[in-house]
Amino acid sequence: MSIAANLRQPATVSDTAKPTGTTSGNAGKWWRFALVLVITAVALVPIGAVVVLSLRPALGSTSTAAVTLQNFRDVFSQTGVKTWLGNSLAITLITVLIAVTVAAPAGYVLSRARNRLVSGYSLILFIVQSLPIVTAVIPLFILFSKIGLVDNLAGVTIIYVGSEISVAIWMMAAYYNSIPIALEEAAWMDGSSVFGGFLRVVLRNSLPGVLSTAIFSFLLAWNDYLIAVVFLRSDPNYTLPVGLETFFQQNATNWGLVMAVAVIMMLPPIIIFSVLNRYFSVGGIGGSLAGK
Amino acid sequence: MSTNSVASRLQKARKGVGVAGPGPAARKPASRRKWRLSARAWTLIAFAVPSIVLLLLINLYPVIYAGIQSVRNGTLISAGSFVGFSNYRHILSDPTFWHSALFTVIFTVTGVFGSWLVGLGLAVLLRTRIPLAGLFKVLLLLPWIVPVVVSATSWNWLVATPQSPLPKLTHALGMGDVLFLANPTWAKITVCVFKVWISFPFMMMMMSSALASVDNTVYEAAKVDGASSWQAFSQITMPLISRSTYISWILMTIFCVNDFPTIFLLTGGGPVNSTTSLVVLAYRTVFQDFQTGPGVAIAFVMTLVLVVISVVLYRQIRKANVE
Repeated sequence: MSIAANLRQPATVSDTAKPTGTTSGNAGKWWRFALVLVITAVALVPIGAVVVLSLRPALGSTSTAAVTLQNFRDVFSQTGVKTWLGNSLAITLITVLIAVTVAAPAGYVLSRARNRLVSGYSLILFIVQSLPIVTAVIPLFILFSKIGLVDNLAGVTIIYVGSEISVAIWMMAAYYNSIPIALEEAAWMDGSSVFGGFLRVVLRNSLPGVLSTAIFSFLLAWNDYLIAVVFLRSDPNYTLPVGLETFFQQNATNWGLVMAVAVIMMLPPIIIFSVLNRYFSVGGIGGSLAGK
Repeated sequence: MSTNSVASRLQKARKGVGVAGPGPAARKPASRRKWRLSARAWTLIAFAVPSIVLLLLINLYPVIYAGIQSVRNGTLISAGSFVGFSNYRHILSDPTFWHSALFTVIFTVTGVFGSWLVGLGLAVLLRTRIPLAGLFKVLLLLPWIVPVVVSATSWNWLVATPQSPLPKLTHALGMGDVLFLANPTWAKITVCVFKVWISFPFMMMMMSSALASVDNTVYEAAKVDGASSWQAFSQITMPLISRSTYISWILMTIFCVNDFPTIFLLTGGGPVNSTTSLVVLAYRTVFQDFQTGPGVAIAFVMTLVLVVISVVLYRQIRKANVE
C-alpha cells in the first residue's frame, strides 16, 4: 500500500456502511431494508426491461422459447452494430488515454502552484466546465467541415478530450492534494527534478486518482450523444449511441432487436464500474472545489 | 492558505470542507516559495501547455466564434455578413424562446432538488446498518452509469404509447388513459422524473461521501442530551454537510441547464415545444431549421448567463474557503 493511498480516505460508495448514532431496533432495520429494496426494485425496472426484452423472441419469430439469444445473433448479422461497437471502443479508449495524459501533469500545476496565473487558470477551468456543449458544437462544426474533420472519428475524439479535460484536471488536482508535498521535497533533496519528482513520487502514488479520472472520461465519451449525432454523418462512422438511436427510429416496434443493441451498449460501462467502482469517487469532482 | 493552525483546521472540518475533498491534515504547507526557481517554473508551464491548447481550441475559440456569428447572418457553410442585433431581436421576440427558458428553469429546479432529495434519502438509509447495503449502493448507481440513449429507449418502451406498460397500469388502476408523452403537462412531468431518475445516483454518491465524514461521536453526544433522530439530522447532520450540498447543487444545476440527450431522446422537445429547453431549441434552430444566426444567438445568450453565474459562484466558494 502506498503512503498516499493510506493517507487518503476515499469516500467511495462502496465504503462499508457505518452505523449512525441513532439507535433503532431490529424492526426498524427491516423496515429500512424493505424500503430500500422497494426503491431499488422500482429504480431498476427500466434497466431490467432492457435485459428481459433483449432475451425475448423477436416480433414475428416462431420461437416459443422463453429466453433466446437470437436477437443478439440477428443484430450482429443485420446491423452495423459490430462497426459501431468498434468505433465506440476506439474513440472512448483514445479519449481516455489522451485525457489522462494531458490532465495528469496539468492537475499537478493546479494542485501545487500558487500564483495569480494559476488562479486565473483555475477560474477558466471552472467556467469552461459550465459552458453548454451546444455552444461549442456549432462553431466547431463549421471549423471542422473546412478541415475535413466532420464525419471523422478523430474529429469527435478531439472534441471529447476537450470537453472533459477541465473536469479531468480538477479530479487529478483533488487527488494530488491528498499527497503530502514532503514526499516530493525529499525527492528534490535527493537531486530529483520537478518532472522526476512528479513522475516517480506523485504519479506513482496516484493510481486511484488516475483510475477515477479515467472512469469519468470513459463514461462521458461512451455515453455522449450530442457531439456524435452532430459530427458523425454516415453509418460506418456511427458510434453506438447514434447507431442505437437510428436503429430505434427505424425499428421502434421490434423491441427485442432494439434492446439487444441497448444491452451491448450498456455492458462495457457496467463491467468497468463493477470492477473498479471502489476507485471511483465523485467526491473528486466537487473535491477540488471544496478543498481550496 | 498560509493559515494552517489547528483552529482553522477545526473550523474547516466543522464547515465540512473535508467532506468531498482531501482531509485537512493533507494540506501542504505554504508551497509558494517552492516555485521561485525558473527551471521548476518552466516544467510547470510545460505541464499546463497541452491542456491550455485544448481549452483554447475546443472551449474558448468556439465561444468567441459563436459571439461573432450571433451578429451575422451566416450559415453552417458561409460566414455571412454583419446584421447587427437582428438575430437577438428575432429570438427575444419569439415566444418559443421564453417558453424554453421557462422550461429550462422548471427542468433544472426539479432535476436538482428532486435528485438531491432522493439521493440524500438513500444515502441516509444506506448509512444505517441494513442487510446487503453494499450491493444496494452499487445497484442504485446503474441509472447514472447506463448510457442515456439506452435508458431513453427503455423509458420510451415504458411510457410512449397507450399500449406501453405504464399507461396500461394507470388504466388498470382507474386513473384513466394518461398520455405520458403526448400530453404537454404529462410530457413535462415525465421528462423531469426521467432526469431525477438519471441523476439521483450522482447525488447519492456526493451525499454518501459527505455523510461518511461526519463524526459519529457527535450523535452520541446529541443522544445523551436527549435529541431525537430528526433533531439530530436537521440540526447536526444538515449543517455539517451543507457545504457538500451546496457544491452538489451547483454541479447538478450546470448538468441540468446543459442537458441535451435526456430531453431530446425522450420527447424531441415536443409535444408542441412543451419540453423544449434552451439547449434543445438552439440545436433544432441550427441543425434542423438551418437558421444558424438565431441558433448561435440562443446558445450565446445561454453561455453569457452561465459564465456570469459561474464566476459569481466561484468567487463565493473561494471566499467561503478562505474564511
